[in-house]
Amino acid sequence: MKTVVRRLSGHLARGLAMIWVVTTLSFVIIRNIPGDPVRGQYEKLIEQGMSPDQAERSTAALYGFLPTGSLWDQYTDYLNGLLHGDLGQSLSTPGTGVATLIGSAAKWTILPVLGGTLLSFLLGVTLGVYAAIKRSGKLGDALAISGSLLHGIPQYVIGLLVVAVFSTLWPILPAGGPVDIEFTPGFNGPYIASLIQHATLPVLTYALASYGGWILAMKSSVATVLGDDFIMAAELRGMSRGILFRYIARNAILPLFTILALSLGLLFGGAIFIESIFNYPGLGLLLVNSIGARDYALMGGTFLVLTVAIVVANIAADLLYAVIDPRVRKGAEA
Amino acid sequence: MTRTSAPGVRVKDLTVVYKTPAGELPALGGVSLSLAPGTITGIVGESGSGKSTLALSLLNAVQPPGRIKEGVVDIDGLGNVVELTGEELRRARGRQVGYVFQAAQNSLNPLKTVGKQLLDLGRSHDFDDLPALLKDARALLGRMGLDGGRVLDSYQHELSGGMRQRVGIMFALVLNAHLVVLDEPTTALDMITQAAILKIVRDVHHERGLTTLIITHDMGVAAEVTDSLAVMYGGRVVEHGPTTEVLGSPRHPYTKGLIRAIPRLSGDIDEARALPGRPPTLGTIPKQGCVFRERCPMRIAVCDTVDPEPVTRDARTVACHAVGRPATPVVPKEYV
Repeated sequence: MKTVVRRLSGHLARGLAMIWVVTTLSFVIIRNIPGDPVRGQYEKLIEQGMSPDQAERSTAALYGFLPTGSLWDQYTDYLNGLLHGDLGQSLSTPGTGVATLIGSAAKWTILPVLGGTLLSFLLGVTLGVYAAIKRSGKLGDALAISGSLLHGIPQYVIGLLVVAVFSTLWPILPAGGPVDIEFTPGFNGPYIASLIQHATLPVLTYALASYGGWILAMKSSVATVLGDDFIMAAELRGMSRGILFRYIARNAILPLFTILALSLGLLFGGAIFIESIFNYPGLGLLLVNSIGARDYALMGGTFLVLTVAIVVANIAADLLYAVIDPRVRKGAEA
Repeated sequence: MTRTSAPGVRVKDLTVVYKTPAGELPALGGVSLSLAPGTITGIVGESGSGKSTLALSLLNAVQPPGRIKEGVVDIDGLGNVVELTGEELRRARGRQVGYVFQAAQNSLNPLKTVGKQLLDLGRSHDFDDLPALLKDARALLGRMGLDGGRVLDSYQHELSGGMRQRVGIMFALVLNAHLVVLDEPTTALDMITQAAILKIVRDVHHERGLTTLIITHDMGVAAEVTDSLAVMYGGRVVEHGPTTEVLGSPRHPYTKGLIRAIPRLSGDIDEARALPGRPPTLGTIPKQGCVFRERCPMRIAVCDTVDPEPVTRDARTVACHAVGRPATPVVPKEYV
């Protein structure tokens, strides 16, 4: 238990440092993007005849931070806000907090992307085992080819194809929006049914787009384990098929856990293409729009959420690894 | 099911081929070899001579792209192993024939403790009394100088090479198999550990009344523990007989060359003569004639066309045209 705590505290310290570095970098980069809406608003007010003092106060009230002042002042102001859990005010949607915007976008991203990731992971890993075991047969070839093909097609092409097939050629599922507006949001049948209906195509697209990566990774991992001596040893000791399969699967899936944890972290970046195609108001779309509008606070906020998610996913992956791989566990104690 | 006496093994005309782009090439070309019940037989030969392929054949476990093309591996109590398939074959493995892997190899699942894998083994072979199995394993490990309880709670990476090898031997014996095959059991171990392992092998062999087959390329190992010794070359057993006789008065020119190539601990290193030439690989084994003729100092005309049949005389089996002809003493003086 003590080692776990020590391990965790080390991870947390490193994670916080990493988050600080990324926050600082993104702050500097964002402030150097050409185009400055706050400054623009401030100058517009002066042109309209306001005094600089008034214009500054008015802009500050509107956007929640100083339009003038050095980059350093803005930076310390921003960090101070973050430390108090304040992500700032959105510039493009005046009067709304960044946290609120991210929160409402996140619910449209997390569910479909999480569903898509888990679906493709389960599918890819299971079929990957067969692709590896039957790799010299027709079934294995077919599975590997399906993996390479889907892995090679860009996400947005798959998205467009899915829309073309299931919404245009054979219109059984809605192609746009997260839910039909005529239903009252809440825990009621029609609303949830509509949610699921609208989520099906995005989830399918996401699953198809990432399935190829999983099946290929699992196939090569299983193929490696199959060549390991202990598998043959187990076979020659007469271990039953079920036990042999568990030995193979558990060893082969190890390296994939790290990838899974990382892609679960990336989930908070949203899936920009998929969200655009299906008009899903998720995090990806929010990020793209915030960049277009030079919404500093919102950009910084989405970057921060993504950074934190990835750092947390990394820590989770590492701790999980220590649970499932005794070699890592003992290595930490030594 | 459990046998209490050592089984005999008779391998007859065993041919194992490997599928390659150049067609099916023989790794074993009609090997015949008998293991007498209760003896330790050694197989020596250079890398690629077919030793391990022969060992795997005893469990009908030649790995693809290889396959047993023809021949019989008859084991007392099991019948012809070549014809066993599926569950029958799986149950024979481990339960009746124990297999010990090279020391350097990792023969354990790195994610499970030795004890858990032992339980997996017990369940695979329908052992009802798993606590008794653990007790047997602890006793065996203790017999080999290890702390059984500690080892069973350990993962592979927590054990040294010598300890792993002893664990491997435990796995081969714990189900009470009476035929044990050890594939280069001491390769990659230091001399002290090697000696300890060999002593264990010998002692356990006698205590349990086993039939043991040891594959090695180390003549010293063969001399130390085996009762009878088979010398393999190019997928054939070229000489087989009691160890003391094979090593003391080798008949086949390859055996002679092999013994001359061993450097003595005391004496000039130059006295050790390397055998000229290289051993054949799968692709370079001659299609006809004696496989050893290219490197043979006793080569005669018939060697080019006819593969010598193994001839047995006074417990010695030798496959050589030159040796088989008592009338013409063609053995060069330097070899006598």
